[in-house]
Amino acid sequence: MTPTDRVPVLRIASITKTFGAVNALSDVSFSVARGEVHALVGENGAGKSTLVKIVTGVLEPSSGHIELDGEPTGFGTPVDARRAGVAAVYQDPKLFPHLDVAENISMGATPVTALGVVDRKAVVARARESLARIGVAIDPHALIAELSVAELQFVEIARALVADLKLLILDEPTSSLTPAEAEKLFRIVRDLRDHGTAILFITHRLEELTLIADTVTILRDGRHVATRPAAEMSRTEIVRMMVGRPLEGMFAGRAKRTPGQEVLRVEGLTREGAFSNVSFALRAGEIVGMAGLVGSGRSEIAQACFGLSPPTAGRIAIDGVPVTPRSPKQMLALGLAYLPEDRDGLGLIMSAPIVDNVTLPILDRLAKLGFIDEAAGRTIASEAVETYHVRTTGIDQLVSDLSGGNRQKVAFARWLSTRPKVLILDEPTHGVDIGSKAQIHGIIAQLADEGLAVLVISSDLPEVLGVSDRILVIAEGELVAEMDAGSVDQETVMMAATRNTRDSAHAH
Amino acid sequence: MLTEGGEAPTDGEARTALGQFALRFRVSGVAAFLLLLGVAFTLLRPQFIAPGNLSAIISNAAILAIVAAAQAVVLITRNLDVSVGSIMGFSAYLTADFAARHPHVGPALVLMPLTIGGALGALNGVLVAYGRVSPLIATLGTMSVYRGLTYVYARGQEITASRLPAWMNALPEVRIAGVRLLVVIAIIVVCLLAAFLRFYPLGRRMYAVGSNVSASAFFGLRTQRVVLFAYILGAVLCGLAGFLYAVRVGTVTVVLASGWELTSLAAAVIGGVSVAGGSGNVIGAALGAVVLATIDNGLVLLGIPEFWRMFIQGAAIVLAATADMIIAGQVRNALRARRRIARAAP
Amino acid sequence: MIRKLPQWELTLVVLTLAAGAWSAYLSPYYLSLDQIAYSTRQFVFPGILAIGLAVVVILGEIDISLASTLAFGAVLFSKFSAFGAPIWIATPLVTAACAALGTLNGVLVARFGLPSLAVTLGTMGAFRGLAFILGSETGYTGFDDSYLYVGSEQAFGLVPVSFILFLVIALAVSVLMRRTVFGRRCYAIGLNKEASWAAGIDVARIKVMAYALAGALAGVAALVWIGQYGSARGDNADGAILFVVTAVVLGGLDINGGRGAILGVVLALFLLGTMRNGMGLANVAGPIQTIVLGGLLIVGVLRPILFQGAVRGYRFAFSRQAVASN
Repeated sequence: MTPTDRVPVLRIASITKTFGAVNALSDVSFSVARGEVHALVGENGAGKSTLVKIVTGVLEPSSGHIELDGEPTGFGTPVDARRAGVAAVYQDPKLFPHLDVAENISMGATPVTALGVVDRKAVVARARESLARIGVAIDPHALIAELSVAELQFVEIARALVADLKLLILDEPTSSLTPAEAEKLFRIVRDLRDHGTAILFITHRLEELTLIADTVTILRDGRHVATRPAAEMSRTEIVRMMVGRPLEGMFAGRAKRTPGQEVLRVEGLTREGAFSNVSFALRAGEIVGMAGLVGSGRSEIAQACFGLSPPTAGRIAIDGVPVTPRSPKQMLALGLAYLPEDRDGLGLIMSAPIVDNVTLPILDRLAKLGFIDEAAGRTIASEAVETYHVRTTGIDQLVSDLSGGNRQKVAFARWLSTRPKVLILDEPTHGVDIGSKAQIHGIIAQLADEGLAVLVISSDLPEVLGVSDRILVIAEGELVAEMDAGSVDQETVMMAATRNTRDSAHAH
Repeated sequence: MLTEGGEAPTDGEARTALGQFALRFRVSGVAAFLLLLGVAFTLLRPQFIAPGNLSAIISNAAILAIVAAAQAVVLITRNLDVSVGSIMGFSAYLTADFAARHPHVGPALVLMPLTIGGALGALNGVLVAYGRVSPLIATLGTMSVYRGLTYVYARGQEITASRLPAWMNALPEVRIAGVRLLVVIAIIVVCLLAAFLRFYPLGRRMYAVGSNVSASAFFGLRTQRVVLFAYILGAVLCGLAGFLYAVRVGTVTVVLASGWELTSLAAAVIGGVSVAGGSGNVIGAALGAVVLATIDNGLVLLGIPEFWRMFIQGAAIVLAATADMIIAGQVRNALRARRRIARAAP
Repeated sequence: MIRKLPQWELTLVVLTLAAGAWSAYLSPYYLSLDQIAYSTRQFVFPGILAIGLAVVVILGEIDISLASTLAFGAVLFSKFSAFGAPIWIATPLVTAACAALGTLNGVLVARFGLPSLAVTLGTMGAFRGLAFILGSETGYTGFDDSYLYVGSEQAFGLVPVSFILFLVIALAVSVLMRRTVFGRRCYAIGLNKEASWAAGIDVARIKVMAYALAGALAGVAALVWIGQYGSARGDNADGAILFVVTAVVLGGLDINGGRGAILGVVLALFLLGTMRNGMGLANVAGPIQTIVLGGLLIVGVLRPILFQGAVRGYRFAFSRQAVASN
């Protein structure tokens, strides 16, 4: 299991990547050895995916370089990377749904006969071989659109098995697999490792580390924290390294309040394949944090409450009145607003000015007989810009011209203009600079003081701990813990969020 | 402890039996529809099944089948060409004019419409693939430009059959083993094209580009070049179709084949080629042309006014689009990210 | 990005003036009021269709069935005329019937999620077929004079009534799109459908309404048509959709939705009308006019690229836009 070769397959040398003013990666260095399963862990936003993109040539590093077999390399495109023996299975499938499995596997390097015709036999044979090599039984003639999520991933892995595969990168391969399917995937990974392939394995499920990883590298806030043999590290230790961030001072000053009336009650909320049997309640003037790993179903729960993707079972009640969420329009009218995580795609209209964005959900209220009172709209937008300290040249500035933090403040302003009773914030400070972050925390506290019930979904544990009164922990689509924010620490929350479901499943 | 809902093995909605069925058997569906149509017309008017009538249908469908196949090639890459009729007219007129002036040029003349078509298609392709103009708008523009150029060149003249060389006038009546040459050519062209799309790497790339553009780029397929090639290939076939049509009707006017853009689209869409790209094949498109010809023929036999055809054709397109939507739902599910894409940075 | 719309509209005005000056230079008759008044007729019926289409395009959809809806409307008018119904009864009923056809498009597109190009391609044939089925192949020419008034008469002996009607419609729709909740929502949907849905907009309903409006305007255009040509037949306005789409694109509307103004479409119509008229006076053959029309359409869509110059450093490969596809 210990690498025999001296020269690592992959060496990441002082990679830094900046997007504008944000450092996604700063000076990250580590090596991946031949025949090693190297796990890469870190919280959401720690820079894992950015690193993968740099290794496979999708992104260029701002500084630093990567070495393959000791040779400095810089892939211009993923095609170059594949040619050099580096393949990745990304989170969004790079598959062709209309084509069959065999063709997908040989896409980009299709074997041809002397006549220049696709060598169909060779294509199918190669697919059979690749699929056999990873030990899965998928018909090479099946169309991609007919496969299940797990099968799609096996096809992608089979495709990655080019002749001289040196490094295989798997970006959260188990996030949508059942334990049985994941077990199968691990078997494939171990088998590849035993044949000398290096595997860079990105995961959020810490229990998987003991099952599969030889070495663990931890990233935090774009920085390299540690690279150590997996056997030497306990889960608690890894969690501490992942979250080891000092609490930011401004969280402190929040006085304890007595929450008021219950305004939102969620009971047995379920959506097949996303989350099940989630029940909780929010009271006026209360800030409830929702912690959990990315992909654990937090956003889906919020979106179900907001009617973006309606639940399949369960009910919710606002102010004691039961309601079945069907559309955002309906839920906004009932006083529930949701600030989406995908702010730029779903939360705002990027190419429209601030004023249009702020007034969009309240056009009806601004209008008399269908005609918009422009002046009133502009007043509301101006007040919002002032209240939330949006740094802008004016309310006619396009939202796309603002910084991340200021965009978020505009999004806040938009949802607050609807005067909600319940506000659900999904990653409110993601991609936001430190200064704006503090302001946003201030806004959240102030809103609660004004009597709003606020649900804050965040991957940023210090934020969840600091800003909330109460914390709900979601793991794998279930509400696994409810804690008082005053009496827990980051590790406790993280342990709950990464609960060892596989163990409990086995124990079953 | 672990409930099924927390980690369902497959997304419940991801595998709709209907969607899978539609995706796989779309083209067989066209054949079945054609059969149904045939049975219905035969029951109503027994003379429908007469060999003479069937051969008339096939002859009528032959040229449209080529154009529908050309349209399908472009549709498969998730694009559209509404200038096919103008390309036919332009290449047919110039070729006929040239033939009238130089009667000694033999059947090598066929290369001329192909070349002209290819050049016109190249312009379409450049506008769409490299100019990134919406395919509808780009080809709507070139549709009128090409047609206008034909007018300008023709100066209102038409080329009558008497001015064309004898071999051209004789062509429509040539039969090979009792089958009209026109039909033989159409069958050969469609089969060759189907084989090309099925067996050649470039053909497969066209499907790949139409199926998932961003993934195509990931696998080093030069997507722009593939789209350009699809336009050229389609237009070369339109050039051929224009020539055959000119030969068939004998008199070449400047309005030759106007309106074919819609008929070809209708044939392709009815034949199971999706306007959303990546799905369908040229055999289906050719069958779609036969369906249209059969409807025409049947309506005549039934004594139903010709304009009902428009209504039925239009309704058939909407129906075909509905089938495609079911497929599209299936395809979307296959492309959905395992979880929301982690964003690197703002 | 394209915050240059006023600039584009200014360009259209300059081009129109240039075309007018050129026409005047070519033909001394051009500047007579009669001639100018007459020239407006050239684009009134496609103009009304273009305004309807503009609303649909702002939503990010397309409707190529509008000319067929017009034909249906014209035939329906002929039925009412033959029946002896007064025009003030016929007009709202025909408009409503055309709006119903538009609603059908809208429902297929918005509720069933079908691609608008395929749907309206289909209904383009179906509606025209319907017009033929309803009417006859020979057409109808016996319109009562009251039916012809709007399309053929001139108010104050000078300005065609149809032109006034066009201006009123343009102004009304412009106000609708700029000042009302409906218009604002249309723009929002055109820019980002998902975000609009999340902001509590009933996207499907707005789309159906927009298609219905476009259909209703096609009904009004039918009234202009019958007055102008005095006849109604299933093939009315066949092929007019090219001119209509050209006007919309040339008017600065983004075919992908969300950008552009009705004013631009009106200016583009003036430009197209002036050019057609000028070219007609200068004895420029019709086909060349068609070439110019097609060329303008292409220039219209290439405009952003022409303005920006060559797009540099664009990493096509990994942009998430389906470049070759939309």
